[in-house]
Amino acid sequence: MSEPILQINHLSKSFGAHIVLRDIDFTVNSGDVISIIGASGSGKSTLLRCINLLETPTSGQIHYHGTDVAGAHVNAPEYRSHVGMVFQSFNLFNNMTVLENCIIGQVKVLKKSKEDARTNAMLYLEKVGMAPYVNAKPRQLSGGQKQRVAIARALAMQPEVLLFDEPTSALDPEMVGEVLSVMKQLANEGMTMLVVTHEMAFARDVSNRVVYMADGVICEEGSSRQIFENPRKQQTKDFLSRFRSN
Amino acid sequence: MNPFATLGHDIVTLWNEYAGMYLSGIWNTISLAFICTAVGCLIGLLCGVLNTIPYSKNDPLPKRILLGFVRLLIQIYVEVFRGTPMILQAVVIYYGLPYFTNYAMRFDSIWLCAFLVVSINTGAYMAESVRGGIISIDPGQTEGAKAIGMTHWQTMTHVVLPQALRNILPQIGNNLIINIKDTSVMSIIGFTEFFGVHKNVVGTTYMYFPSAAIEMIGYLSLTVIASVILRQLEKKMEGSDTYELTQDDMLTLTSGTYRLDKKPEDIAERNLEGGGQR
Repeated sequence: MSEPILQINHLSKSFGAHIVLRDIDFTVNSGDVISIIGASGSGKSTLLRCINLLETPTSGQIHYHGTDVAGAHVNAPEYRSHVGMVFQSFNLFNNMTVLENCIIGQVKVLKKSKEDARTNAMLYLEKVGMAPYVNAKPRQLSGGQKQRVAIARALAMQPEVLLFDEPTSALDPEMVGEVLSVMKQLANEGMTMLVVTHEMAFARDVSNRVVYMADGVICEEGSSRQIFENPRKQQTKDFLSRFRSN
Repeated sequence: MNPFATLGHDIVTLWNEYAGMYLSGIWNTISLAFICTAVGCLIGLLCGVLNTIPYSKNDPLPKRILLGFVRLLIQIYVEVFRGTPMILQAVVIYYGLPYFTNYAMRFDSIWLCAFLVVSINTGAYMAESVRGGIISIDPGQTEGAKAIGMTHWQTMTHVVLPQALRNILPQIGNNLIINIKDTSVMSIIGFTEFFGVHKNVVGTTYMYFPSAAIEMIGYLSLTVIASVILRQLEKKMEGSDTYELTQDDMLTLTSGTYRLDKKPEDIAERNLEGGGQR
């Protein structure tokens, strides 16, 4: 029923002598909502950035529907248009309005007509509750609003997988909820998602799989239930207990 | 007689006699300065884009060599044309080209030669300004564009350069004003811009100071007008500070948009109704 969209084999990444990722293996199936958790500096974000080719992996393969996209001779822009990404710092285009932010990729990359792109963009802006703000510039929005627009911009490309790189870490506490509820809604609709997060409640309740990373390796991987209720490794237990005590 | 009155009298005499020449000189100066600043900006933008094409060690070798070569070429271009006086560049290009090609290649139009020299010179300065402008843009903007599948060219033309251009607009203004004044060195190859007219006029009238006074007033007027235009342009590029909500659906209104004209209980109630998530 579910076929692998992404298959990551022996992925490693080092910056100079500093090894950030070591021999990462995992698979993303259609409909998966995977949370990647772990301490800061454990390589979670780098893994996500490697998957989207924003960082070039030092070695290993990333198979997208069976094709290795990590090697040479790969049309990276074409691949990236199928794999959306939402950043911690939003990265909305400051020179465009909310609507233009959601249209530009569809017109320039997917070669849609302006009208189609507009209709499609409105659909997703409606979904994230930002439709009234189409004429606003990013600098006029709050963090939570920016992030919701960023999600709409990624969705408007109709990607197969959506990567979230700590989408709520740069937000004020009262704005975290609005972004998480949009993400929850997407997960319920069957969107394939890969979420690097510090929101343990989201990892536990929304995702079906959880990957715990430590020191550049996948320490433990399993269903969210198993990881949270019955972690096998001591490291995972220690990490999670730090969150419970809060 | 009062020296100022004499000066005024002489200026009027000169102007009555040579107004046509002065005006055509002004016209030549304006057109050369504006066109060359514009073309120089285009050269600068192109160099900026070429200079920032990313490549990684995963790219094929020919691509890396080519990009390295392009960067080196731009570097040499910038150093040579920024590092030598424009007056010499004009002489070298105007007289050097026929010299080396045994008069097979020469400039039939002085205008064309002046245009080339000033544009290339401005381009060298702008290449560095554009590079600075591109560096000043948050890398997140580029990543955001890449993440939705935009190519380097699309990222540059739609996201980075529009923002960089706004940042370097004061620099472009500087260049325009410098060009208005510095095109005067083009009289060395016989291009009759505003200062060239002065040389011609004093050659026949020997009225050095009155003519120079006309030139001073003329140049200052041109540069002040250019400054005003650029200020306006800057303001326009800043864009509007406000925006309008496109619908007044109460459910989508968020906090901060309510008017405090009701009793606190009512506001609390409305917040419960309208402030929640959709």
